[in-house]
Amino acid sequence: MKMPDLSYRAALVGACESDLIGYPGGEERTIRCTSLQLHIEAIKNVSAYTGIPISDIDGVFSAGWSSELAEHLGIHPSYIDTTSVGGCSFQIHVRHALAAIASGMIDTALISHGEAGWSYRGMGGRGGGGRGEVSPAEEATAAYGIAGAPAQYAHSMVRHNHVYGTTPEDFAHISVVTRQWAMKNPRALMYSKETNPFGGEITIEDVLNARLIAWPMTLYHCCLVTDHGGAVILARPEIARTLKSKPVWVVGAGESMGHSNMVEMADFTATSAHRSAKMAYEMAGLSPNDIEMAMIYDSFTITAGITAEMLGLAPRGRGYTLWKEGHAAPGGRLPINTNGGGLSFNHSGMYGMQLLVEAYRQMSGTAEDGVNGDPGKQTEASNCIVNGTGGTLSTTGTLILERD
Amino acid sequence: MAYDKPIPRQGQHNKPFWEGAKQGKLVLPHCLDCNKVHWYPRLICPFCHSDRLDWIEVSGEGTLYTFAVQHRLAAGNWAKELPFVTAFIDLKEGDRMQTVLLGVDPNKPEDIKIGSKVKVEFEQANDDTFIPFWRVVES
Ligand SMILES: [Zn+2]
Repeated sequence: MKMPDLSYRAALVGACESDLIGYPGGEERTIRCTSLQLHIEAIKNVSAYTGIPISDIDGVFSAGWSSELAEHLGIHPSYIDTTSVGGCSFQIHVRHALAAIASGMIDTALISHGEAGWSYRGMGGRGGGGRGEVSPAEEATAAYGIAGAPAQYAHSMVRHNHVYGTTPEDFAHISVVTRQWAMKNPRALMYSKETNPFGGEITIEDVLNARLIAWPMTLYHCCLVTDHGGAVILARPEIARTLKSKPVWVVGAGESMGHSNMVEMADFTATSAHRSAKMAYEMAGLSPNDIEMAMIYDSFTITAGITAEMLGLAPRGRGYTLWKEGHAAPGGRLPINTNGGGLSFNHSGMYGMQLLVEAYRQMSGTAEDGVNGDPGKQTEASNCIVNGTGGTLSTTGTLILERD
Repeated sequence: MAYDKPIPRQGQHNKPFWEGAKQGKLVLPHCLDCNKVHWYPRLICPFCHSDRLDWIEVSGEGTLYTFAVQHRLAAGNWAKELPFVTAFIDLKEGDRMQTVLLGVDPNKPEDIKIGSKVKVEFEQANDDTFIPFWRVVES
């Protein structure tokens, strides 16, 4: 099926974070943020940033929170979307909002996320919606001890190593380079030894020698778990042109999924991003060679490495080379994860909102951190591919954004 | 000692699987139209969408698709077994199952070979539940 061309039919007009991110209250958790608080802080900030009053928002998009948010804000939206498919939910929200705006149903869409990944870690904090029942797939795998995302994703790295002859060391380069970006972003949790004892420069040896979480993945192959909230507003061009904030155009969008449970993943070295990216490239009329920077979900180094392959930015089995050869690094030809990534900036559990916020900042020329790390010096990129991955390498949303 | 690790819930939708396991047999859902087996149990064949499903005994043989060694995270009392090897098994008859892998040393993961032949065996968890686990028999 040919996708409709919705390029330039809506723009991201602002993207803001919550006031508190990272480890509010520190290791002692002297402050505990709630997920709702992180949502509302970010929404207030993006409303102020764009000058769009909260009362003007007519579409609300979130990973399971939309009715609660609309009630809390006292608004009565005419488009309500609660798509909750893990960390890529927000890329998919942008695509859905684009369709809603292009069709004429709404003018301005709020996409929001708040997740107290740190404050309520291990205490049943909520990112998306719960369900209560146990699915047949969960029953079928319950006996076998696997708990948490790292436990699952490690199987993918082992398979990738087997099929393509890659090594955990190859993937360690993704951690090291991503940390270099974090060291240029003062808001990154791992900015320096002062912001976190584990912060500052890391080496390949540090990654390989860190404690094992799920062999072959050590701690530094895994993302952070932090508090984070973010909100973006998507608006139709006529509105985007009148605002005090800069528009960033959505020129390509796609979404797809492979499976829900990892036991149903057909090929452990491939995600549905090859499909979602194809849709996005076709809509944008661009090819991977045209892409100038990328925000790629890096829940684990394997996630980023595989995704680079799925987006066509590197050949199959060779995604890690973008980092290993320095292309993704500060000063490289294809900057990737310029905020310091889920690996070293922040990762609340569903990280896709953080991808969006940074992509907006880079494409609007408002990032504090730049390609060369000088405050105020932005990346030279004129477009950015943004790819979220949700679940256990399950679901993907791809966007291509363009500078005004 | 009583089995103290997570025991899967049983219901109408997976009863033949657990009845088979009690007798040391691996019994899986099977489609009468496309003849494929699948796991986990579905309400509809995931390959051809037929609802004409029955259950058949399969060989209990397969190959190791991939694995990992859990060092830090574990469900329930599996935490007492850390480190242990988890794996995905490609069944001889098709489709895939998850397992804790037996017959391997979690401290020597480099000796574990993808593609190794594996066989199913069953561990009694309670009167009604014999849990299938896969063991490397030839690497
Ligand atoms: Zn069938």
